[in-house]
Amino acid sequence: LLSAGSCLLKGYHGGHVVIRFALGGCTNRPFYRIVAAYSRRSRDGKYLEQLGCLDPLPNSHGEKVVGLNVERLRYWLGCGAQLSRPAEKLLGLAGFLPLHPMTVTGAERLRQQRQAKEAVEPAVDSPPEPGDESQAAA
Amino acid sequence: MAALGASCGLVVLVRLCRGGRTVWGWRTRRGLGQDAGTADGGKAPRPSFADEAVQNLLYKMTGINLQKVFRPVKTELKPPKYKLMTEAQLQEATRKAIEEAKEKLTMPPVLKEREPINDVLSEDKFLEGTETTKYVFTDLTYSVPHRERFIVVREPNGVLRKATWEERDRMIQIFFPKEGRRVIPPVLFKDEHLGTVFQQDRHEDILNRCIAQFEPDSPDYIRVHHRTYDDIEKHGKYDLLRSTRHFGGMVWYLVNRKKTDGLLIDMINRDLLDDATSLITLYHMLHPECQSAKEAKEGNLQGVDLIKVFAKTESQREGYIKLALKAYEEAMATSTAS
Repeated sequence: LLSAGSCLLKGYHGGHVVIRFALGGCTNRPFYRIVAAYSRRSRDGKYLEQLGCLDPLPNSHGEKVVGLNVERLRYWLGCGAQLSRPAEKLLGLAGFLPLHPMTVTGAERLRQQRQAKEAVEPAVDSPPEPGDESQAAA
Repeated sequence: MAALGASCGLVVLVRLCRGGRTVWGWRTRRGLGQDAGTADGGKAPRPSFADEAVQNLLYKMTGINLQKVFRPVKTELKPPKYKLMTEAQLQEATRKAIEEAKEKLTMPPVLKEREPINDVLSEDKFLEGTETTKYVFTDLTYSVPHRERFIVVREPNGVLRKATWEERDRMIQIFFPKEGRRVIPPVLFKDEHLGTVFQQDRHEDILNRCIAQFEPDSPDYIRVHHRTYDDIEKHGKYDLLRSTRHFGGMVWYLVNRKKTDGLLIDMINRDLLDDATSLITLYHMLHPECQSAKEAKEGNLQGVDLIKVFAKTESQREGYIKLALKAYEEAMATSTAS
């Protein structure tokens, strides 16, 4: 997707700057850094600048902490950097960008799945009711 | 560098040093709480905490006990250094010490409690059920002052709202940690544990820790300070805070609630008549409609007469004050006689 802004980063042929998540952390403990890097670099390799972080595990207050350096983000977007899809979705959730259409679509699909499950379950629920009561008593 | 909101026209005794104590960073920006305070002071004749006259009176009452201000703080152990000085050098050193003490004694601001934030930026109800936890987004731009930083929360029900003050404080402490402040406030500041602290006479310590931990307009800061002042007033331990930077705030609190009797008696007992008169002048400035204020203005009273008029009209413990005054006058008479 070439735009007028990407003329500014022509010193790099065949690739482009992306803003994406770099995974760090330990086993069973992921931690993402929001990073501006060349697209053909490895995911966790050398990057141009770190623009923030995302902690996917909720903390003791039940919140997922995300930091975004908005000023530098605007700079890189102005230079013509592209965003990865999870980065776009996250910025949509944050309100920095409009909501990603896949977020909306995903929500719709989830709702339809749940409705489908609920439509199936009441038919399954009615026989095992005496079973449930005996389990509750035991 | 004394930077401030110039429209207020206040003389601020703060010298911002970026080294260790960036506690009053909010003062350099357009301090929100300050404007509110001075707006009130401008319309009605009610003086606010930050007025020059009020600050002068409070500063005089705080007193400068160099021994107490520069008493050893628990740092690493170093052997004492001795210097040989002439009289002139000693005076010079004392003068410099007094200036440094003035800076240490700058009073922390007294602000009104901050309004809770209930701003909703967007409601996207169709996102309900996609996430199980909320996301807190913090703007990490370095040059933005903390008061103006954007911190928003996306709830699991899809609502995008501004973060509450507690969430803001926590996030700012996580990303821009300040010395002496914890992300989750220590359990010490809860009401049930404050009592233990007061029994050990560590009011000044807890007030210092409270200043480090909370913002001046947060409800926790105000609650801890009020509890401390109430306890000091109940037990008459005014001397614990004398010559510290909390004394001004305590006097302001007591004068606003008209609980000045104990403090007055304490001052007279310690032969601090000037402080007593400044206390009563401050009282008259804050409550100009009370009877003793009117009598003092008519008669233009000074010194001991002022105290007597105040004791007669405004105080509850008139007898004690008269007794203390009599003891003071007798002590003066015997000292001048001998």
